[in-house]
Amino acid sequence: MSESVTSGPNAKPRRGAVGPARSPFFAGLGASVGFLLPNLPLGIFWFAALVVLILLGILLAVAWLVVMAVTLAMLWLIRKPNWHMLIRGPTSIFAPAMSLCIRGAQAERRRVARFLGEAAPSAYRQLPQGSLFARASTRVKDLATWRDLAYLLLLLPVGAAEFALVIGAFALPLVTIILPTWLFVAFPEGVPLGQGVRIDTPLEALIIAIITLPVSALVGYLLVVGMSKAHAALGQTLLWPSKRARLARRVEELTESRSRAVEAAIVERRRIERDLHDGAQQRLVSLAIGLGLAREKIATDPQTARELIEEAHGEVKRTLAEIRDLVRGIHPTVLSDRGLDAAISALAVRCPVPVEVNVELDGRPPEAAETTAYFVVAEALANVAKHSEASEAQVFVRREYKPQDRLVVEVVDDGKGGADFEAGTGLTGLTDRLAALDGHLFVKSPTGGPTQVHAELPLGALHGTA
Amino acid sequence: MRGAPKNSSSSPLRVVIAEDSGLLRDGLARLLIDAGLYVVAEVGNGPGLISAVQRHRPDVAVVDVRMPPSYRDEGLKAAIEARRRVPNLSVLVLSQYVEERYGTELLESGATGVGYLLKDRVADVPDFVTAVRDVASGSTVLDPEVVDQLLARRRDQRLAALTPREQEVLSLIAEGRSNRAIAKILFVTEGAVEKHVKSIFGKLGLAQTEDDHRRVLAVLTYLHR
Repeated sequence: MSESVTSGPNAKPRRGAVGPARSPFFAGLGASVGFLLPNLPLGIFWFAALVVLILLGILLAVAWLVVMAVTLAMLWLIRKPNWHMLIRGPTSIFAPAMSLCIRGAQAERRRVARFLGEAAPSAYRQLPQGSLFARASTRVKDLATWRDLAYLLLLLPVGAAEFALVIGAFALPLVTIILPTWLFVAFPEGVPLGQGVRIDTPLEALIIAIITLPVSALVGYLLVVGMSKAHAALGQTLLWPSKRARLARRVEELTESRSRAVEAAIVERRRIERDLHDGAQQRLVSLAIGLGLAREKIATDPQTARELIEEAHGEVKRTLAEIRDLVRGIHPTVLSDRGLDAAISALAVRCPVPVEVNVELDGRPPEAAETTAYFVVAEALANVAKHSEASEAQVFVRREYKPQDRLVVEVVDDGKGGADFEAGTGLTGLTDRLAALDGHLFVKSPTGGPTQVHAELPLGALHGTA
Repeated sequence: MRGAPKNSSSSPLRVVIAEDSGLLRDGLARLLIDAGLYVVAEVGNGPGLISAVQRHRPDVAVVDVRMPPSYRDEGLKAAIEARRRVPNLSVLVLSQYVEERYGTELLESGATGVGYLLKDRVADVPDFVTAVRDVASGSTVLDPEVVDQLLARRRDQRLAALTPREQEVLSLIAEGRSNRAIAKILFVTEGAVEKHVKSIFGKLGLAQTEDDHRRVLAVLTYLHR
């Protein structure tokens, strides 16, 4: 059994888009036809299913309202009734129709997205935890649900028209080819084209057919491809989140990531405070005591004083080493001086597991991205050393420009896997750090291994410093 | 200029100190003067170092990596520049952190009379003074941490073929120690060290050499490759 842990809104790292625009002539035609023809049967199915469910729902709801109104009115005579029951009933009655509608829209979204060669977006508001009623009422208030319904109902007439036009588009060149033969069967005297021009020999008919064939084929092709694009545009208009919804979601994301970034900074500061307090500060106190004692003893007992000073000397060196490690953990100097390659190489040589470092960058990314990328690698390698039992690990850092300008960091090991988001705070801390820069972390770590940590940091909005 | 010669028979080593922290600069100067060296100039930044070595032509410059105005690697850059302008200048670079990358950059500026040590090593006064003297006389002195990083970076089969004792000896060679020093550290005879050295050079496929200094270079070149 394999277990995988992921984080971020998309479960998979994005790959480059493959759209119909890049396909050759016939592949483009095939994709368009394959996209358009199912619209009619799908349209029939969704229309029938939804209309039946909605009509049934209306009947049930009316019945419910009548029965409940009467019951409540009668109860009113005894005690104060709960009028919310009146609303709750119909909401639950329409829940199956709504659920079906959303399922259908999701399937359509995936189909349109596949045709466009992009990832299907998520269009809905977040559902609250709680009762069926609470979730259903969020759905009802969400404009996206109604847009879904509109699309699915429209799919029938639109699909029918498209079906007819696709058949027509294929028939056009076919008709052009068989036209001459057919004409001579129907008009043995020759075909009058008007104004005294007539087609009266087979050669003339053939010539006209040959001349018109490419035109009709082109018209048919453009019709089909254009229509598929138009349908995709319709899908994007109704199924994709509206600009308002996108902005609302963005604000939600930003609010959340901001509070997580603030949280992460507080946690980090607390850690530094604790490390300094428990480490260096305590050592300095004991040092002060040791030196104070030595000063007292130096006249009366120089031998003991000497030993005390020896001890103090050792203690100072240990304190120095400790502070050095602490400071390196806050921000490594070599990173600001020499960039990711040097800093990650330094991490790699300190890792007890052999690490291969592949940094492919032209120039230095913005400092914020560089620092975050560094800490992703630092944390991942620390986990490799502590938990993975791996015999080797690889680090990849590269900049990708499509579909957007971003820094991609990957740490792969050949260990036993099973990395857990809940177990250590390290990975969650990383997610927070990345979220602050709109980045995402993907961890694939099936039990039995291998573990793959993949982070992406968009660079578009960051300003370069170096 | 501080630390006039104590005994006139042999001329003391002449040192330039480049360190921006006044506290540490004074400490270093006091320590070196106590050890009988002659501090000809104390400066607090890169340009100061370059003009001081050009004026005084010291036997060795002791330089801190982090100096104003950027507080990054000013000292390292200044040291490399100083070596470019004053050929055969010996430089001992001190740093709060030692990074393999800085070490190799320094070695690339010419691998004779170069030292790169963690600042903490100053605390072991006799060892530090020995390092300053060694660098002044043209030796290469590398911090054990840098050597560890070099060894960790170059993981290959030939290195893996060395016995643990041989690896220890290799590290000490890379730090710039002589056979006698290695023998003292490992509590063995010089003859035993020589045997190890021969075996190491054989396994790594390096040309044997009697000269301590050329030996360090051979090992560092091998590790650096």
